[in-house]
Amino acid sequence: MSRLESFIRRMSAQRVLLDHAADLVRGVPGPILELGLGAGRTYDHLRERLPDKEIFVFDTHLMGDPDLIPDRHHMILGDIRETLGFCLPRIGEPAALMHNDIGSGDDIHNAATRAWLAPLIPPLMAVGGVVVTSFTLDLPGFEKLPTPEGVPENRYHFYRRTMD
Amino acid sequence: MSRLDDFIRRMTAQKLLLEHAAGLIAGLDGPAFELGLGNGRTYDHMRQIMPGREIFVFDRSVSAHPSCVPDGDHMIMGDIRDTLQYCHPRTKTKIALIHVDLGTGDATADLAKADWLAPLLADHAMTGGYVVSDLPIDHPEFERLESPPGTEAAKQRLYRKRG
Repeated sequence: MSRLESFIRRMSAQRVLLDHAADLVRGVPGPILELGLGAGRTYDHLRERLPDKEIFVFDTHLMGDPDLIPDRHHMILGDIRETLGFCLPRIGEPAALMHNDIGSGDDIHNAATRAWLAPLIPPLMAVGGVVVTSFTLDLPGFEKLPTPEGVPENRYHFYRRTMD
Repeated sequence: MSRLDDFIRRMTAQKLLLEHAAGLIAGLDGPAFELGLGNGRTYDHMRQIMPGREIFVFDRSVSAHPSCVPDGDHMIMGDIRDTLQYCHPRTKTKIALIHVDLGTGDATADLAKADWLAPLLADHAMTGGYVVSDLPIDHPEFERLESPPGTEAAKQRLYRKRG
């Protein structure tokens, strides 16, 4: 399989994943946190699927189509490792959904990200809130949910906060 | 339709269009050009669907996945506007297929780019050779062909150099 084919499969899986996540959190109060804006495509997908939810996006810089950039209040610019721990006053309440899109194809990079990212997540998530991530995270107080059909088992992971 | 939906549709159509073009050049001798390596995905696909065909890749810099970078002879680095004019000693013959992946997303910037690019494409393409381009090619030596079914969503259009 070429990298183009595997990319198309990955993007298609990501869509299934986000649609599933949207269904899971539709009734959960709180905003959405999108880690990594990139080209803005998944941000656009989430705002289309969950039009009533506020979405805060985190990234170090802006790129891509200006139509796909959130307004100033909802675009949290800076090193996510630093901004994430201090975003609660801005997002107002714990989140219903976090989509972690800052993974890479490199295990070492993911291991390094996992180490600083996982401890920052629990205080930001509402009970019933869901974390969707491309690499596993150690999240105390969360249960692991099965991935939806059409998404490779070990490629993406769902965690739901079960207790305070 | 979200941008993610649209993107998946476009990438799928682009893949089919490249495969269609690979079929069209099956009887033509000559290398292929990939203008814009980017992350190397379409280059990787091209080398899989046209095994044995020499592919020269042009880009300003290499930012592709390490497994998708051509060897030094076939990776032509620099401003494509310059390198396309002076690459003949390396590429040697006329080109059977040129894949243009240089669109910027800004219509005016794309027009400006297409304006300097089209004559260079005409210079390199063999008679009866093909161009798959995400920039509009408006040049007397090229005719636009209809996109085959299933590829309408692609940003790329198919052109043939007139005989």
